[in-house]
Amino acid sequence: MAREGAAARPAPLGVRGQVLLALLLAGVWAFWQLGLSWGDLVPSEGGRAIAGEFLVRAFSPALSSEAEFVPPDAPPLLLQAWRAVGATLVFAAAAMSLSIVFGLALGFFASTAWWSCTFPAGSWIARTLYVVARTVVALMRSVHELLWALLFLIAFGLSDLVAVFALTIPYAGTLAKIYSELIDEAPRDSARALHAAGASGVAVFCIGLVPRALPDMAAYTFYRFECAIRASAVLGFFGYETVGLYIKQSFSSANYGEVWTYLYALLVVVLVFDVWSGRLRKRLLA
Amino acid sequence: MSARVEELRRARPRDGFLRVSCALIAVAMLGAWVFGGFDFGDTFSERRADNFARFLHDIRPFPLQGREWDFGIAWEWATDLLARRGFDAIVGTLAIAVLSVVFAAVSGALLAVLAARTLATAEPLSVAAMRGGGWRAAGWNALSAGVRLSLIVMRSMPEYVLAFLFLAMLGPNAWPLVLALAIHNAGILGRLYAETIENADPSAPRALRGIGAGRRQIAAVALWPAALSRGLLYAFYRWETCVREATVLGMLGVVSLGYWIADARNREHYDDLVLLIGLGVVLVLAGDLVSAWVRRAVR
Repeated sequence: MAREGAAARPAPLGVRGQVLLALLLAGVWAFWQLGLSWGDLVPSEGGRAIAGEFLVRAFSPALSSEAEFVPPDAPPLLLQAWRAVGATLVFAAAAMSLSIVFGLALGFFASTAWWSCTFPAGSWIARTLYVVARTVVALMRSVHELLWALLFLIAFGLSDLVAVFALTIPYAGTLAKIYSELIDEAPRDSARALHAAGASGVAVFCIGLVPRALPDMAAYTFYRFECAIRASAVLGFFGYETVGLYIKQSFSSANYGEVWTYLYALLVVVLVFDVWSGRLRKRLLA
Repeated sequence: MSARVEELRRARPRDGFLRVSCALIAVAMLGAWVFGGFDFGDTFSERRADNFARFLHDIRPFPLQGREWDFGIAWEWATDLLARRGFDAIVGTLAIAVLSVVFAAVSGALLAVLAARTLATAEPLSVAAMRGGGWRAAGWNALSAGVRLSLIVMRSMPEYVLAFLFLAMLGPNAWPLVLALAIHNAGILGRLYAETIENADPSAPRALRGIGAGRRQIAAVALWPAALSRGLLYAFYRWETCVREATVLGMLGVVSLGYWIADARNREHYDDLVLLIGLGVVLVLAGDLVSAWVRRAVR
């Protein structure tokens, strides 16, 4: 009897416990592999000076330029910060508008829901389109936006429009992936009814499926918009006139007050967007 | 029939906030194109076409430049580069991604307990606490609101900017990258974990509270175990992103794949650059596969 009781006891580590343990062990391996030591977390002499000076200025961000030489035609710092934030938003909004269009188009082909209505199951046309769309989406997504930006920078030179394309490619891919998954998971009842009434595949997709998945799609799109703002800010490190450019420039010339001005400007924009999209999420998914 | 449809259309639920938000976003997108100052003529100019033609020439593997394409030589060139740079770069990138996601998940799980509206109150898990007053209640509310605000601030800073700033202070080792990724992702995971805890079935934690368990005991015995499955799911989702980001952060000057990409750019070895980006694609796709596999096992 005791043996039976023992057999019924669950294993000391279930699948989840094993995964957790493996993850922690992988963390230990990574720590050793990277040659890290806790001591390196304390900055060296020079690093400590920079850190001290920089962190102190968090409480007194610059309100006017700190540079020793200010060109006479340079705009005041706050106006400059305002423009940098504006440029960041312009890049993000332009890229998102393209991403939504391409994401929807690619998501259409990358979802299984539409062609199962139009083509008989296992049709080679549907299958080819699906596989091609999935592969294209995976390739678009798997190169980071900054690497696209770098590639385009080398191939075409510095151009705002090209930077927008660099943001668009991975974002359209990600949107297409998530859209297609959401559409595939949406309830199919209205789609089946429309199909039975003789509607075409495109009509079934647009009227029967997309509206059912729309709240989730909209919520995710807002979240990606927030990510696009961050990504667009970082594009500045590659020479585009977004917030990142000025953070890099001011930090390199040790004008730490200015750095904090730009950091706070970026923070405010992202915070507003975070809170806004959180509210929207709650309403959309209520 | 159509009158009935019209009636239904008028009676549909409407949300002013949603409408204004969508209108604002649409206007922003349109405005970006109209007033953004994009120079379409310059983008499609001859100069850029020439630049592109030169780029296409430059990405041809170096030993094959100015001669017939030969797969044998191309293969030798590629394997040589991967042997010299590829292996270390991949291991470094993976290690950075793993370590930062472990730090992010652990600190996210700890912060989530303080951020969850159900637990971080004067009287955890009870309905009465919602109405309760007094200094103690105010203190708990302030603490949990403060933690939630710090989570937002943590996730709102781009990893690249954080890594850039840390690099100047900590010097060129892997810590700046790990810290930057860990902070950003702890902000995201902390929020998700807090939501998981808030939405969890309250019966077990309430029962524990009833027999006198403290917050730490409730978290350790009831909340974390119940949230483990989702917690791992989210952590692996974020790990996929970390692999992507770790590749790029190396461009700041720390040995990951990005370091060798930036190095190839500085030497203008664009053939190497494209091959290394291709290696990054393989790494990211492999990471996605592993993550999808683990997530299916955990679910």
